Amino acid sequence: MDFQLKLVAREISKAYDKNLVLRRVNFDVRDGEFFSILGSSGCGKTTLLQILIGLLDADDGKIFKDGRDITTLDPARRGMGIVFQNYALFDNMTVFRNVAYALQFHDVDEVTARQKSARMLEIVGLSEFASKMPAELSGGQQQRVAIARALALEPDVILFDEPLSALDASTRLDIRRELKKIQRTLGTTMIYVTHDQEEAFALSDRVMILNRGVVSQIGTPEEIISSPANDYVQSFVVDNLQTKIDSLRRFLT
Amino acid sequence: MSKLFLAGVAVIFFVGVFAPLGTLFVRITPDGFAQVVNSPQFSAALWNSISTAFVATVISMSLGLAAAWCLERTNLRGKNFFAVIFGAPMLIPSISHSFGLVALFGANGWLTNILSLDVNIYGALGIVAGSVMYAFPVVFLIFLSVLRCEDGSPYLAAEVLGVPKFRRFVDLTLPYLRRTIVSTFFAIFSMIVTDYGVPLMIGGKTLTLSVLLYNKAVAMADYSSGSVLAVILIVPALIAFVADILNPPPKQNDFAKNISLVGRSSSCVVEIFCVTLSLLIVAPLATFCVMTFATKYPVDMNWTLYHVVRTIHRGALDNWFNSLTIAIVSAVVGTIFSFVLAYFSTRMTGLAAKVVHLLSILPMTIPGIALGLGYVIFFHDMPIYGTLGILAAVNVMHFFSSPYLMMRNTLEKISANVEAVGKVLGVPRRFIIRDVILPKVRFTLCEMFAYFFVNAMMTISAVSYLAPPAPKPLALMITQFEAQRLMESAAAVSIAILLTNLLLKVLLTRLESLRYFSLAAKKSNQKKPRPQ
Repeated sequence: MDFQLKLVAREISKAYDKNLVLRRVNFDVRDGEFFSILGSSGCGKTTLLQILIGLLDADDGKIFKDGRDITTLDPARRGMGIVFQNYALFDNMTVFRNVAYALQFHDVDEVTARQKSARMLEIVGLSEFASKMPAELSGGQQQRVAIARALALEPDVILFDEPLSALDASTRLDIRRELKKIQRTLGTTMIYVTHDQEEAFALSDRVMILNRGVVSQIGTPEEIISSPANDYVQSFVVDNLQTKIDSLRRFLT
Repeated sequence: MSKLFLAGVAVIFFVGVFAPLGTLFVRITPDGFAQVVNSPQFSAALWNSISTAFVATVISMSLGLAAAWCLERTNLRGKNFFAVIFGAPMLIPSISHSFGLVALFGANGWLTNILSLDVNIYGALGIVAGSVMYAFPVVFLIFLSVLRCEDGSPYLAAEVLGVPKFRRFVDLTLPYLRRTIVSTFFAIFSMIVTDYGVPLMIGGKTLTLSVLLYNKAVAMADYSSGSVLAVILIVPALIAFVADILNPPPKQNDFAKNISLVGRSSSCVVEIFCVTLSLLIVAPLATFCVMTFATKYPVDMNWTLYHVVRTIHRGALDNWFNSLTIAIVSAVVGTIFSFVLAYFSTRMTGLAAKVVHLLSILPMTIPGIALGLGYVIFFHDMPIYGTLGILAAVNVMHFFSSPYLMMRNTLEKISANVEAVGKVLGVPRRFIIRDVILPKVRFTLCEMFAYFFVNAMMTISAVSYLAPPAPKPLALMITQFEAQRLMESAAAVSIAILLTNLLLKVLLTRLESLRYFSLAAKKSNQKKPRPQ
């Protein structure tokens, strides 16, 4: 195998009250890869994300990280971070304390914690906002704080649950560029859930398309565009998609 | 852990609600029931109760809605002032309202003398007037918050489309308020019909069910007839409960976000209405002050402390300490308990959370007058009987639902992802609660504390059966003084309760404006900067 596998999901199934939301989902995520899960709302992508990080138990199936079975491991011990659409910041704490807060529960001494937090804020470009309260920041800045908070524990995989849906177009562009930068500089593997095909195809090394809890297709953006596996995938491949992706990609470098 | 918690909650609700209520039902025999219902007193009392409560509900709802509308939807000046005045009657016991009417319009009342009035306030008229005073602030506050949370954008559209003002009220405001009007109607009706404070003092020969129950159970210790009447008085509360469940409150918005663009005006009608209402509310309170400090109201108006000293000698100070202790204990225990249950029912999923929620809103259906009687019968031979503890306990259970719902409402606005983030970052839940949740809900905690405190301070319903032998709360002295014709002392006690509650409100406002306390809130809420 050419690639080192970071995360492996095997035969993941999940039902809510007999309503099957995930049906035997299989996929591999490579080390350092930007991997998107694309699907319309209600396709089970958020459920899948919560199972990957351990906030939800799958009914069936296994998850491996670096070859180790983590299916039943506590979320905090999986070495993964998560960023939500609604930021979920601790809004009674300063920006700096938001990032530093969790470190005290992980045997990190105070000096190291401060250095680490400062560095993470620098990476997301918020050093000068360290002493502000979240409510004083714009939506895009708040989402950057959430990203820095996730980075502070140095996870090697970060999950994003529609992180840019609540933001305006130009802020989305800025943050996408930063995510790609973080992926390149820190080598973090990123799993990105979205319903926006342009975003998914422009950002990702590979995209997985999920339809009603079933994997439709996994492949590079080019593979999917040139040979969509079924009608559902075809519906995402709209006119001029390649052109739109190319123009988006120009902003990412 | 979770099982242990649920077992604890079940035990508390069993001992605090189900068992005492159950003893009421157990005591009822078909013969006893028939005897009470077939007595001539009963049918008269039933009619008096229903008719006066219905009229008082309609009047207080109309006035409360009108007052709330004036404050939320017009450019009236001095809104904060009016809001304080309109809410103030909630800080004194129901019995003080009828007492105030007696002081103004009674046989020897101030206005009766000055205007040579010839009204007979003792009877249905007095009951309705007193009940309106009692219920008005509650209605006012409900409509105030509901009007504030209406979405303002349809009004903007109506304005642009040239819809006349009156039609906007009829076609937009009223339909929006429909659900609130229905559920508030039943809640207020039940609140008035189960209150005995107003009709006891001003009812004269017009007997109501609540006074009948009071006479049977408190004065004559006839618990069998009392149980029958108490169970009958639960019926309107049950209807209110069902109406409330069938009418969920409207979605919360922020009317003010759009309102600045909507033409608002204030006419002199609005001003005259609000000023008149304020005078009507302040008049009895002012009379209490005069009665307390005048030598012989209304004949000799020279200033004196004689009545205050006499009232203290009659035991008011001791009872004030009792009330204060009960209020603080009820508020501390009640706030903690209702926070814990609200947290559990909003942050957990599954059947357990639903059961906890149902248990928590259940006390709403039980009038204090019924709960108190249940406590007397159930706890009679237990060591807690006759202590301040049982008074605090009955208050916590009696007033539990509203603070619980306040906290639930606040917690529902906090994203569940906060706990998810904690889990992923390895922060134990108790730290998330301490460092994130509690700081976010601190204002609601203060509101809940105030709710328990104020209600414990002014309640006369559930506690009336339990004291004595338990130490007497201050509010019950009003009944006693009135019965002894010690009007000045009754006035002094009403004023003391009002001042204590006002003091608590002021203290809490001060606390909320402390720098440490308001730091985050001030920054996240730019609209309402709090003074440093």
